[in-house]
Amino acid sequence: MEYLSILGGRGRRIDEQIAHDLRIHELLGDIFGKRNDDFLRSLYLEQLDNEEVAVFRLNVFRDLLKGEVLDAVAEFVERVNKAVRILETEKDAYEEHRIGMHVDAALIYTEAVETAWSRLRGLPIESEGLASFTRYLGEIAGSEKFRELGRRAREAAEARDQIKIRVWIEGDRIRVTREEHGEDLSALVDSLFSRFKGDGQGAEVKYIKTTGDASHIHAAILRGAFKMYRTQYDILRRFSEDFPSFIDDGIASFAKEAEFYLIYINYMKSLEQMGYRFTIPSFTDGGIYVRKFYNLLLAKRGSSVPNDIQTDGSRRIFVITGMNSGGKTTFATSFGQIVFLSKLGLPVPAVEAKIPFFSSIMTAYPVEEDVEESLSRLELDVVRAKAIIERADSRSLVIANELFSNTTSDEGLLLTRLFFEELAKRGSYCLFVTFLHKAADLDGVITLVAQPSPEDPERPSYVIAPGRPPAEYMAARIARRYQLTYGKIREVVK
Amino acid sequence: MIEFDLLRTGAARPAAGADDLRRDLELDKIVAAASGGDELVAEVWREVLLLADASPDSISYRQDAVRDALRNRDAVLGLYRIANETVDAVRRRVFLFRPHDPAVVVHEAVNGLEVMVASLRDVLAVLKSTAFSSEAFRQMSKSVLDNINDEFLASAQELVKVLRFENGVQFSVRIGELNSLEDPVLLVPRKGESNILSKVLRRDEYVYRLDPRDEAGAYILDDIRKWVLANAASTIFKAFKHLDSFFQDLRRQLAFYVGAINLSGYFEKLGLPAAYPRLSKGALKFSGMHCLSLSISAGSRPVPYDLDVEAEGGFAVVVTGANRGGKTTFLKAVGQSLVLARAGLFVPADEFALPSTGAVYTHFPRREDRTLSYGKFEEEVKRLSAIVEGLRRGDYVLMDETFSSTNQVEASVVAEEVIAALVDSGVNVFYVTFLQDFLNRFLDRYRERAVLLVPEVRQDGTRTFRLVRGKPTPGYALDIWRKYMAA
Repeated sequence: MEYLSILGGRGRRIDEQIAHDLRIHELLGDIFGKRNDDFLRSLYLEQLDNEEVAVFRLNVFRDLLKGEVLDAVAEFVERVNKAVRILETEKDAYEEHRIGMHVDAALIYTEAVETAWSRLRGLPIESEGLASFTRYLGEIAGSEKFRELGRRAREAAEARDQIKIRVWIEGDRIRVTREEHGEDLSALVDSLFSRFKGDGQGAEVKYIKTTGDASHIHAAILRGAFKMYRTQYDILRRFSEDFPSFIDDGIASFAKEAEFYLIYINYMKSLEQMGYRFTIPSFTDGGIYVRKFYNLLLAKRGSSVPNDIQTDGSRRIFVITGMNSGGKTTFATSFGQIVFLSKLGLPVPAVEAKIPFFSSIMTAYPVEEDVEESLSRLELDVVRAKAIIERADSRSLVIANELFSNTTSDEGLLLTRLFFEELAKRGSYCLFVTFLHKAADLDGVITLVAQPSPEDPERPSYVIAPGRPPAEYMAARIARRYQLTYGKIREVVK
Repeated sequence: MIEFDLLRTGAARPAAGADDLRRDLELDKIVAAASGGDELVAEVWREVLLLADASPDSISYRQDAVRDALRNRDAVLGLYRIANETVDAVRRRVFLFRPHDPAVVVHEAVNGLEVMVASLRDVLAVLKSTAFSSEAFRQMSKSVLDNINDEFLASAQELVKVLRFENGVQFSVRIGELNSLEDPVLLVPRKGESNILSKVLRRDEYVYRLDPRDEAGAYILDDIRKWVLANAASTIFKAFKHLDSFFQDLRRQLAFYVGAINLSGYFEKLGLPAAYPRLSKGALKFSGMHCLSLSISAGSRPVPYDLDVEAEGGFAVVVTGANRGGKTTFLKAVGQSLVLARAGLFVPADEFALPSTGAVYTHFPRREDRTLSYGKFEEEVKRLSAIVEGLRRGDYVLMDETFSSTNQVEASVVAEEVIAALVDSGVNVFYVTFLQDFLNRFLDRYRERAVLLVPEVRQDGTRTFRLVRGKPTPGYALDIWRKYMAA
């Protein structure tokens, strides 16, 4: 049978400005960590146009999120990739090294296939993607050629383990003998000086070899070893001759593509350890119902307050007002990220998420200072609004942050109303962050407000909830703010 | 294993607000007098004076050791000199600036071992000839003598020779994954193998000789040699560090007592009294106590202070009165003596008894606090709040004009609440203040657990700079009203 791609299909690259506004590159930075893989990175920037492909991928996630399936797949991918890498390097190695590398690659590969097959076949796999791959794996593992490969590789490795030599380096001369009954010099030093206290911290001399393990000098030492251990050498050598290449092409492709899932699950786990949750989104025909979604970037760096957003689809414009630094932009960006992730076929940071399969995400965030002066800021806002309106449809999500804020509030409100009317005509969805409180009174909008902390009305709670825009807040007493009251001090001092 | 702890300072956590304490109590002046310019003594003194935790046991342990050190000052100074010279010699002879080159590490560490093994002989000589009396010094001496004898010194010298690797390195190795060499174990060189001819002729040996033009090969061989030495280098480096930290610990711990010996001399020169503080439950009592930093600056014996407060669990000593009355000096004197007492040192007083060994905190005005504003008030409150967070029963808080950055009416309200809460929580408060509302209300409410000190003014109006018990000034407003109304 043929290998069927575990990705289900490919998408289209996201617009760079939108990626910037939604802070997608930072998000990918968190997801990828130090890993540098161009193939994976480009996959993560491809937004799917096809809902079915997204569902195909989400179903694979459903299987993987059953712990055992994930363990089996992750281990398999890691091992296969390792074997592939060894075979790559082997090409340039000395014969003394190559005969060993080949054995190790084969050992890793055969163990990978055997283990994965025996694990996956017993697990309840429901996704089309993984079920098909498991069948494929079974076919390989069952072949006679594959079994012989494993047997011979193990035999060679055992032979190698029997070798132990003494090397004496003096000047430009290396001597190799069989080693028996040597006395460990470090142990001697340790026994004499351990009577002096000290944890020896910082005494670790971690020497990183600058020349690698595979030089002609290493080869010479191995040659000496093989001279001392002739039988073992012959077994190693014959293995390479009998099995020149052994990795299946379909398995190699799977190992590469499956990283798309594994890297994200790793990322999910790092957040789940901190108490955050992910959910597999389901796609509605108009309603939005997302419970306890949060900002991934903030969560990763400390804490993120969860929020809800919902509409049955009859009203689609959300106006978000409230105190400064109250979490309004974060709310809008977080929702945008959820939509972005759903369009990759990835689980999203929320407890529950039902959203439409959006056709596109569009953003209008405050522009940075170095904008060309040919247009006024207000004009620029209008230009951006127009671009959005031109492309918007009933499955578009528009995220606008302080749009029309570069003018008087009367004018800003007027433009906002006109903008909303256009979006409403097209049935587009919009999150509109603004300090124009009157925007919350416009027709047909859902008004959300950044709530103050219940303990301290001077401080934000980062909760965004339905409600009316706030009036003024009062300042609390200074001493109380710093806990200097009789009761607090009595509590604190033990 | 050789273990000793002359200081018993535990984890030696610096007290919260240690920087403020150091500055407000002018501890640097005291440290300078004790160290006589020896930076290590200064460093150890700062550490011990600013300890967050000091149990009564650890204090009396150090007090005994201080007395012992003053009695055996030649031995203490002698050990300190040996330790110092050893550490200096090691620093001169050992260059571990490339700790990632095992060959260098081994070479340098072995240099160090050679120096230190030799110094151990001198340490033994001093210890064998000194009869210490304190637990601290006796235990240290015993631990060293139990672990080091002449046999040890001989073996150590022999091993140092082997570690020079004059005939190359020998190691065992296995073939691991990818046919890389693994598990190198540096071996004790086998004797008799230096006879090259006899070895070359043997069949069970493979010899590879580097081509003289093979520079890369020579480089790799060197790399392998370092790789083999790396594991052993850690052990050798560790041995070096162990021995080095023995001398470091020794001189560091001795430094505290060297400082005590110096300060004792200073007291004698200035004619200051020296009392070993004692713990006295429920009472703070001192007499003839001087402000040490002022004494050091002036080179004389300043005005003495007396105080006798009985207070079970928390009291307040409130100080008020005209400027230049020596109120801040009094706070400093109290704070310095408390800090010295906790360190296990003698204090400049005829007598000194303290009710607890709690930590000392200061809340003194910062220069920029002098104007009235809520911003400044907030800064003060914030700073105080940080102190309160770490407070425990039995601690001491020394406050100099706290809350003076806002008007006295509202400041008094806050002050009353704060000081009352501290005292009720078992904290001992020294508070210099001018807040009239506070003085009247608080001293009335807490008359059992608070005393008021004011500068002494003689009948003839002259000031003595001493502080004496006082009473809050009664309100004259009504009198004046009546006087004028009556008029």
